Amino acid sequence: MGKSFLSKKTSLGGSKYEKKNSKDEKKGPRLPSALQREVDSLNTRYSDNSDEEEELHDTDIYEYNEAQAEEESRKNRRYDPVDNLEYKLPDEFEDENLSSDDDDNNVDHASESKSNMNTSDESEDDVEEDSVGRHARMLQNITGMPAEVFDGKKQKFGVVSETYPESEYNPSRDTLDGDGRITIQDLLVPLQKKRGYSELNKRIQKVERKSVPVQTPISKVLQENVDRKVAYEHTKKDITKWELPVKRHREATTIFFEKDTNVGFSTVGAIASGFTPRTNFEKKMDSLINDAKVVEAYREDGARLLELNKISVEDVIDHKNSLAKMRSLLFRHEMKAKRIKKIKSKTYHRLLKKDKLKASHTEMQTDPEAAKEEAMKQEFKRAEERLTLKHKNNSNWAKRVKKRGLEAQDEGTRVAISEQLNQHADLTRKMYSMKESSSSDETSDEDDEDELSPDANPDGVSKLLTKAKEKTQKLLETEDEMGTSGVLSLPFMVREMKKRKEMAYAEAKLAIEDYESSLKQLEDTNGAATSEIRTSSGRRVFGAARKQPEESVNRTKSGNIDRDSDSDYEYKANDNLDVDRAGNGALQKKVPLDANMLRGESDSGSKSVYTSFDDTVRDPDPKTTYEVAIFASNSWKKVGNKNVSNGIDKKSVVVVEPIRPQQDLKEVDKDDTESEEEMVDGFLSSGTKADYELPSQEDLIRRAFAGDDVEEEFEKDKLEVLNEENPEPEKPLLLPGWGQWTHIQKKKGTPSWLLEEHESAKRKREESLKKRKDAHLKHVIISEKINKKVEKLHAKSLPYPYTSQEAFNMSMRVPIGPEFHPAASLRALNCPEVVKTPGHIIKPISFEEVNPHEKEDEQKMKGPNQKIKNKKSNNVKGAKKTKIKHKSN
Amino acid sequence: MDAMDGHMDSISCMTKNPNHLKDIFSGAMDGEIRHWDLASRKTVRQFHGHQGAVKGLTTSTDGQILVSCGTDCTVRLWSVPVAGGMELDDSIDHSSEPLAVYVGKNAFWAVDHQWDGEHFATAGAQVDIWDHNRSEPINSFEWGKDTVMSVRFNPGEPNLLATSSSDRSITLYDLRLSTPVRKLIMKTKTNSICWNPMEPMNFTAANEDCNCYSYDARKLNEAKCVHKDHVSAVMDIDFSPTGKEFVTGSYDRTVRIFRYNGGHSREIYHTKRMQRVFSVKFTCDGSYVVSGSDDTNLRLWKAKASEQMGVILERERRNHELREALKKKFRHLPDIRRIDSHRHLPKPIYKAAKLRQVMLEAERRKDKNRRAHSAPGSMPVEPMRKKRILKEVE
Repeated sequence: MGKSFLSKKTSLGGSKYEKKNSKDEKKGPRLPSALQREVDSLNTRYSDNSDEEEELHDTDIYEYNEAQAEEESRKNRRYDPVDNLEYKLPDEFEDENLSSDDDDNNVDHASESKSNMNTSDESEDDVEEDSVGRHARMLQNITGMPAEVFDGKKQKFGVVSETYPESEYNPSRDTLDGDGRITIQDLLVPLQKKRGYSELNKRIQKVERKSVPVQTPISKVLQENVDRKVAYEHTKKDITKWELPVKRHREATTIFFEKDTNVGFSTVGAIASGFTPRTNFEKKMDSLINDAKVVEAYREDGARLLELNKISVEDVIDHKNSLAKMRSLLFRHEMKAKRIKKIKSKTYHRLLKKDKLKASHTEMQTDPEAAKEEAMKQEFKRAEERLTLKHKNNSNWAKRVKKRGLEAQDEGTRVAISEQLNQHADLTRKMYSMKESSSSDETSDEDDEDELSPDANPDGVSKLLTKAKEKTQKLLETEDEMGTSGVLSLPFMVREMKKRKEMAYAEAKLAIEDYESSLKQLEDTNGAATSEIRTSSGRRVFGAARKQPEESVNRTKSGNIDRDSDSDYEYKANDNLDVDRAGNGALQKKVPLDANMLRGESDSGSKSVYTSFDDTVRDPDPKTTYEVAIFASNSWKKVGNKNVSNGIDKKSVVVVEPIRPQQDLKEVDKDDTESEEEMVDGFLSSGTKADYELPSQEDLIRRAFAGDDVEEEFEKDKLEVLNEENPEPEKPLLLPGWGQWTHIQKKKGTPSWLLEEHESAKRKREESLKKRKDAHLKHVIISEKINKKVEKLHAKSLPYPYTSQEAFNMSMRVPIGPEFHPAASLRALNCPEVVKTPGHIIKPISFEEVNPHEKEDEQKMKGPNQKIKNKKSNNVKGAKKTKIKHKSN
Repeated sequence: MDAMDGHMDSISCMTKNPNHLKDIFSGAMDGEIRHWDLASRKTVRQFHGHQGAVKGLTTSTDGQILVSCGTDCTVRLWSVPVAGGMELDDSIDHSSEPLAVYVGKNAFWAVDHQWDGEHFATAGAQVDIWDHNRSEPINSFEWGKDTVMSVRFNPGEPNLLATSSSDRSITLYDLRLSTPVRKLIMKTKTNSICWNPMEPMNFTAANEDCNCYSYDARKLNEAKCVHKDHVSAVMDIDFSPTGKEFVTGSYDRTVRIFRYNGGHSREIYHTKRMQRVFSVKFTCDGSYVVSGSDDTNLRLWKAKASEQMGVILERERRNHELREALKKKFRHLPDIRRIDSHRHLPKPIYKAAKLRQVMLEAERRKDKNRRAHSAPGSMPVEPMRKKRILKEVE
């Protein structure tokens, strides 16, 4: 660089100075020396015309002052009258960009010197280097003052001539004196009258006040450390955004990694909603379904729909009623079946089986076809008997007995033999009797009709009454004996029966009184009249033992037919009675008490009424029941006076009462009873009405569980537990041969210490029993013994995620499985933690920024424009929310 | 389930194709790279080129480019053909030339690819970040002079990566700020690191001291969880894509599966012929585990040993679920836990575990005695989670 160039530069700097101050000071990067030089050259080129531009350049170029620069520059300035070392410019001056390249000789240092901004000083240095005159000129240029101002210096310049180069080791005198420094004030003085001075001044003051020394850059290691720290903080903050999704991810009971399959329609309803009728059929159906009338009715009220249905209300009600009836019937039947099914007793079932057999037997007789079958069977048996003569004492055993003579045998054998003979006789004779019955069906009917007249006599009535009285008394006496065998022997039956018996007893007593009174009256009014008691061999009567009931039956028949000789009915009655006779067991099964009574009263008049009742109840046609009842009572009414009828009514009540349970099973039509109520007294009707009553729940339960005694069982169990935990001490037993060596020892018996031990053990046991927690609790067993088997099923300590025992217990208590949960919720309950489909690539978590206010916006805003607007504002706010999304293929 | 034989030397590294379920690549110590088809358990193709051992393998997220690096100071990029057309039986002989070979100054120890990005990182003397399209690393980090042994990108946060180096340190880097971020020095070397793909702040380090340590990148002063059970150095670790469990391969010739928060392993796999396991991988659907070991074999395991394979009908699946739920419910009961956690171990491992237990017990006893004989409070109890950490360098 030439000197002229330098000078030019300085001048340039001077001119710039003012303008610079008026502008903002900028810091720019330090430029490399080569670049700097170019800039300088540019500066020279445009020095005259375009000041502004240069200024800009300069401001960009120069940035800051480096500490070293001054020193280095000083080294080379030998003739510097002004000492730089001493002089320190305020820092702000670094910003005053002077494009003076001061060191020409040392290119290496150029960069540093460039950054040196103490422009005035440097310019001075340059001047001094070259010549005094130049210096003066420069000063003049810079300050705008006449050269005389700097005279002092000049003089000095003139005087001093140093042979050695000026350096820090030999400072010039100026430096030593402390004179000749140029302050900013000095430089400002010439500007005082120029434009913009006040502004400049202000700025300088401002800068002076705030001046801070620039710090040295820290070492690289430290710098990196700081960088890392900041980076870490930044990264940390950045990662923290994951916290929410990760938390959600972790807390989720189930995470699904599955393909997104979009079926389109979600439900059947959704699919159906999109349906439009196309074909004719579909259109027709649609018009029917979507009929305005129907739809409207459906929406408004269900009643309108009924009208549209074209079914009369009565029909519906009827239907409903019939349904209800059937349901109640079913229910009753079910109740009974349940009760019976619950009975576990073997004996009961055995007996039941037997009864059933018998019942079927009787039924077969009522049913003509079944009877035929039965007859065939019997026929077969008889044929067999005739063929084999099994019971004709033809066996070896019988022959031997015969050989020895019957007298020689003991009682048992004799009985057995006779029994066999009887059996044979039975089997053969029955055959004949059966034939007889089939043939003499009509004759018996006629016989019955013959009987009508004697029964009409009041005499017969009195006799009947006396008999009835007797029978009732007998019955009362013999009641206890009944029911010792069969189903009746079962405890619950016994209990039930007892109850019934008491009731019956009371009523029977009343009846007896009635009989007596009526008898007296009868005796008064009528003379002695004998009634024929016919002993007829009725149809299908096989045994002589059954004679008595038969009589009564016939009598009742006659009584009935007295009023109304409807042969059809009669036949029925006969049939029923026959059934009655044939199987007492069948009756027992259904209504045990009735059967008993029947047996007892079989030949009394009242009994006959009763039996007819009983049988007709079992008759498939309910109407006949009442007819029988009516006829019976009516006939009595007609025969006797009012008292009698009254008595009979009462009697009938007595009889009816025990039938009740049976009538529970049988459906009796209400309409029929209504008509009877007019004819018969209130007793009967009320009786039938009461039949509808179901046995109470308690009653049922008691009956059902009559067999098992829970309390007793529990007590047994408890005793067992007690014995197990505190075993009873063994009784002191003498071991055979132990202590029995001599006679004396034997006398001693069990040793005393053994006894004592036993005693103490007993005492201990009692004490421990008393100490037990359940000693005073009758219905509780508290065992304080640890069960090792149970211990296996308990967690030893509270498992990790649980904080309290209750919570853990609760969680254990919740059952799992299809037995405890509906299918819909089962899947959710049993869902594993991670659900993934094999073969589906799971991608790592990805982050999505979602606007939390979006939804609210949608609710609030109506127009789309507004929504967008709001979104924007939200974005500005920077409110963001995270959302996890699993990408799927 | 099966062993895949084919390599001539022990397998040093593996990578899965994130875009294709059946693909897995394995690199061996003799410089051979093989591409396996897991369905047929056969080699689909081989990549020849490395002069020394292949130390690192990785695949780009789209599965098109395979990056390998090795001790021959080269990084090689290979193009992976589309899987569909390459399932030929005679394709074993197929071999391809690398797309590019970049030569570095030092041997490379590991390589990992960024998730959903163009960059991959190699580890060696320093950590270099490369771009697919440039032959020079676009960035390189150096913090300390020790060799970096492993590098792993965070799949959730693609700009974050962690390395472990031979100075026993784990270092975190952030690409955006182009500086290392933090360094954690432990008492023993970390062999491998894996980030949790579902929890981007957490990573687990497989340590030389037989344990794995789960860390939160934000709180490095203590481990979140210490996963113990191995009896020798843990060589490699890989997270299941579900983020709920990870698999480790160890020098003790076993493969173990841990839950992400479980102190002990859920499952252990071993066979008589399996030697030191150097590399393990979970498949992309999280249902299989592949291990590569010293005996030159790749082995395929089920991630859940008792799981039924094949198509499972709805009813059957519901039944399985119910059984699992029952097991889960009663897992605290002593007997059930015993049955559930019982595994038959090879004798050496069983004995080593016992020995380790004894040693640990002795250490604990000694510590306890010391504590008992020193002034109260002078020896604070240090939890295991902090014990193995030397310091955290900023």
